Amino acid sequence: MNSSILNQSHCPEVVVPNPVFFTIGAVSFAENFLVVVAVIRNRNLHLPMYCFICSLAAFHAIASLTKTLENLMIVFADVGHLNKKGSSETTLDDAIDSLLCMSFLGSFFSILAIAVDRYITIFHALRYHNIMTMQRTGAILGIIWTVCGGLGVLMILFFDFKLIMICFVILFFISLVIICSLYVYMFMLARIHARKIAALPVGGRNNHHQQRWGSNMRGAQTVTILFGTLVVCWSPFFFHLVIIMVCPMNPYCECYRSLFQLHVALLTSHALFDPAIYAFRIAELRHTLRKMLLCSDWKLCS
Amino acid sequence: MSDFHNRSQTSARRSDYVWQYEYYDDEEPVSFEGLKAHRYSIVIGFWVGLAVFVIFMFFVLTLLTKTGAPHQDNPDSAEKRHRPGSCLVDIDGHQDENDKAFSRPLLAGSRSYFNFYINEEDKGHGKQKVEEKRAGKHTGARAEQGTFNRNRGVSSSGMDEMEEDIEEAGVHQQLTGLIEQSKTDRECTFLSHFNIPNFVNLDHSSTLGEDDLLYEPSVILERQSKCHDAHFDIH
Repeated sequence: MNSSILNQSHCPEVVVPNPVFFTIGAVSFAENFLVVVAVIRNRNLHLPMYCFICSLAAFHAIASLTKTLENLMIVFADVGHLNKKGSSETTLDDAIDSLLCMSFLGSFFSILAIAVDRYITIFHALRYHNIMTMQRTGAILGIIWTVCGGLGVLMILFFDFKLIMICFVILFFISLVIICSLYVYMFMLARIHARKIAALPVGGRNNHHQQRWGSNMRGAQTVTILFGTLVVCWSPFFFHLVIIMVCPMNPYCECYRSLFQLHVALLTSHALFDPAIYAFRIAELRHTLRKMLLCSDWKLCS
Repeated sequence: MSDFHNRSQTSARRSDYVWQYEYYDDEEPVSFEGLKAHRYSIVIGFWVGLAVFVIFMFFVLTLLTKTGAPHQDNPDSAEKRHRPGSCLVDIDGHQDENDKAFSRPLLAGSRSYFNFYINEEDKGHGKQKVEEKRAGKHTGARAEQGTFNRNRGVSSSGMDEMEEDIEEAGVHQQLTGLIEQSKTDRECTFLSHFNIPNFVNLDHSSTLGEDDLLYEPSVILERQSKCHDAHFDIH
C-alpha cells in the first residue's frame, strides 16, 4: 500500500484493546444468562412482561457471546493460526456477523416490545390481560426471533447493497422515535396522576410538595436513563453507517470512521447496561437471582 | 488504518484482506489537504449534539413535572393528617418483608383491586356511592378481576422505578409512623386508612383516558390478600 500518499495528519484508527472486548463480553454474557435462567426457573415470572425482558437478555447474551467469539478469531488470525482467506473462515465470519446482526436487531425489537407492553399496561389497563395473553406473547416473540434471524442473514448476504443499510438506518430511527414517544407519553400520564394525588387533602404542604417534586424528578431520571442509554449506545454505530453511505471520501467523515471499534465497543456495552435498566429493577427477579447465586440448594432456601 | 498496513506487511502470506472492516477503501486514499476545520469536527459535533439531546430531553421532562397548578392545601382535620397523599407502597423499603410474599404465586385467589376503594374525602356526598361501588365490586367484579389483577400486579412491578418513584416519596413518612405496630397489623391498618383514589373508570369505557389506572404494585395486592380476611370493615 502506498502509505506515502496518506498525509501524516490522517486520523489513525482508534483501536480498542482486545481485553476490553473480552471483559465486556464476558460480564454481559454472565449478566444476561443469569437473567434468562432466573426468568425461566421462577414460575412467578412467566408473564408477558418478563418474557420480553427474558428475550432481550437472551439476545444480549447471544450478542456478547458472538462478539467474544469473533474477537477470539481475530486474535487467532493475527497470531497466524487461522487463514484469513480460507473459505471456512469466511463462512464462519459470515455466520458470526449474521448472528451479531440478528442479536442486535432482536435486542432492539425486544426493547420496542417492552415499551409497547408497558404502554398497554398503563393505557389499557383493564383489558391488558385480554390484549396481552401468554399465547400472543409467545407469538410475538416467535415473530421477533424469526424476523431478526432472517434479517440478520439477509443483511450479511446482501451487505453490498446500499438499500439494506438504508432500510436498517430508517428502521432504527423509526423505532427510536416510537420508543421515545411511548415513554414520554407514559411519563406524562404518571405526572398527571401524581398531580391528582397531590391534590388530595394532605397535611404538611411543603414536605409533600418537595416529595412530589423529588419523585417526579426520579421518574424523569428513569426515562432519561432508559432512553438515553439506548440512544448513546446505538446512534454512533448507525451514524457510522450513514457516514459510509453519504460521504465515504470526505476527510472529516474518515476521521469519524476511524472510531469504528469504539462505536462497536459502545454497542456491545449496551448489553452490559440493559440488565441493570430492565431486569435488575424487578424485585422478584432480584430475589430469584439472590436465591440462585447465594443458595446452593434451591429447596433449602425457599 | 495504519494498523492494517502494519499487519499486512508483517506476514508475506497474508493478503490485504481485512477481517471485518471490508468497507475501508484502501485503494482510494482520502486527502487531508486543506482542511478548514478540525479533523475531528464531525465526531465532536456528533457527541455534542447527542449530549445536548439527552440533556434537553431530561430538562423537558423535569419542566413537565414543574408545570401545572400547585395543589390546593386543604385545612385538614387531625383525623386526616395521617392519611397519605399517595396510595402506593414503597416496595424497596420493605423488600425483606415482602420476600415471602413474592415467593408465593401472586394473588392466589381472586381479589378485586376495588375492594379497597376507599375515598374518604368524598365522605360528605359520596359515601353512599362508595358503599354501592364496594358492594357492586365485591360481587360482580371479583372473578373477572382476579386474573387481571394477577397479570397487572406482576407486570406493573416491571415498571417499578417509573411509576413507583412518583409515589414512593409520598408514602415514606406515613410508613415510618406505623413501624411500631406488628407487621400484619401495620399493613392492615395502613391499608384501611389509605386514601386510595379511584383510578379506574368503572364504566369500562373502551378507551381509557388519563384518569385511568396508572399501575398497581404487586405489594399492595399481596397485602390486600393478607388483610382482606383480617380487616374487612373499612369504617
